Amino acid sequence: MNTIAEFMSTDHRACDLTFALAEQAALDNSWNDAETAFDTFRQNMQRHFRMEEEVLFPALLDAGGPGGPVQVMRMEHAQMNELIELMATAAANKNTQGYSGLSETLLIVMQQHNLKEEQILYPIADRILAAELETLFSSMQAIQ
Amino acid sequence: MSTASLSTEQAPPISVPLRFFAVAPLFLILAALTAMMSDRIADVHTPALLAVTHCITLGFIGMIMFGAMQQILPVVIGSPMPSSRLVAWFSLLPLIFGTISLSGGFLLSNAALLHLASLLLGVAFLVFIVASLVSLARAATRNATATAILLSVLALTAAVALGIVLAQGYAGGLQLDYQKLAAAHMSLALGGWVMLLIVGVSYQVVPMFQLTPNYPKWLSAGLAPALFAALLLNLASSFFDILSLGFIAEGLFWLCASCFALVTLNLQFRRRRRVTDATLNFFRLGMVSLLCAALCAAAALLAPAHEYFSQLSIVVFILGFALSVIHGMLYKIIPFLVWFHLFRGGVKKGVPNMKEVIPEPWMWRHLWLHIVTLLAALLAFFWHAAAWLLILGLALQGVLLSFAIFTSIMVYRRTYQRLEKVGP
Repeated sequence: MNTIAEFMSTDHRACDLTFALAEQAALDNSWNDAETAFDTFRQNMQRHFRMEEEVLFPALLDAGGPGGPVQVMRMEHAQMNELIELMATAAANKNTQGYSGLSETLLIVMQQHNLKEEQILYPIADRILAAELETLFSSMQAIQ
Repeated sequence: MSTASLSTEQAPPISVPLRFFAVAPLFLILAALTAMMSDRIADVHTPALLAVTHCITLGFIGMIMFGAMQQILPVVIGSPMPSSRLVAWFSLLPLIFGTISLSGGFLLSNAALLHLASLLLGVAFLVFIVASLVSLARAATRNATATAILLSVLALTAAVALGIVLAQGYAGGLQLDYQKLAAAHMSLALGGWVMLLIVGVSYQVVPMFQLTPNYPKWLSAGLAPALFAALLLNLASSFFDILSLGFIAEGLFWLCASCFALVTLNLQFRRRRRVTDATLNFFRLGMVSLLCAALCAAAALLAPAHEYFSQLSIVVFILGFALSVIHGMLYKIIPFLVWFHLFRGGVKKGVPNMKEVIPEPWMWRHLWLHIVTLLAALLAFFWHAAAWLLILGLALQGVLLSFAIFTSIMVYRRTYQRLEKVGP
């Protein structure tokens, strides 16, 4: 990995994959598989949010990065977390219809969020954090 | 590079895109009524057909694209349109009345209405084009989508200019080379504005809606410039009367368009999200239609004596490609907007999710209705009575879409009022 954009985008794709597996299993009413896949998805998402909120965003702000956009990204993380919690309830209740509606909604929120990060925020981070990429990567990888 | 563009307020108020989306389906109904009132609808050279076509292209396609651009620009290029409400009013109202005047002008052969239409549509497009260019100039990112949108707006500018010349010529009975000008107008409007905009937006939404891989870099970097170059070559060939150049230009255009359709279908085939929804099928129908339009255009190039091949290509492009993709996008964008503007309020309980805004079965019904309408349009070339089925299909699609959008607005209003009472 050479850039933050590549590193983080790869993680986005990994989250997408577990999202799709969980959704498919839920729509097929295979709730055992769905719950396992959903738990993995939720963990992946939380790890990704922590990598950003605990490592990337503070580093970006310390280096004089844009505060407004970072704030928006944090807010969208909170929105996604709320949707994920609603999905957890739907999964626990084996509510296929509820899960599929929430999952459809989360997909769009997540994807337009990723788009903004990948096309705007990460390139900014790559530019102003160029000197400390290796340290950042290892700090982010250390997050469980 | 502007970084302020990711601010919370970058999305326009929900009423901005929704007012365009709410008006647009009425023009499908108007197109159907216009077609019904005029006889000889199957004859492509009648002014009635021009009226019907412009109800669909300006009133429906143009209207949706005006609204969608307001919503899409902040997300894909990180730069909203300036003064979104003002731009919305000054593009929406003249577009509505301009389209009605233009269609009326064609139907009644009324010069005053055509002059009025030129003025109103000139204002609508001028406002829209300037606002789009300002937004593009302030873009936080330079990507393939921004390039495609820029080229599409440039093509639109030329298409509008030619359209105004044609309408003025028609109104004043001027001696113009109508066939040549109309061909250039159509190629820039459909092949330029509509095609390039769909291409640019697809780069973002195709991977987003179905979790497909991204478009290959060679395609996203090269396609829009190649399509635009083909359009310019085509214009040059027409202007300098070089027949062989026109042949090459058209060939290049349809080759690029087919390439786009095939790559999109392939990406969707490789999607990670296996769920099949109505939007995915609207998109696939659109791409298959684009391939069919390309085949018809190829047949028209090889057998220019058979005029119906090129007419078939245009009909399949507008109804099969453009309308399918637009319907597909609307059924994602509208429910998302309703959810997004309610959810960011603070109270999260009781906000309907996307599938509770427009029920899914409606979308599937609309898909089937659209397929029948499209088949009727193809059949109408050989069997004139099918034109009535086409008219009925268009009207029903307008009614169904209006109902879906009206329902979405009501869901938004009801939930908003309920949340206001509860408080944050």
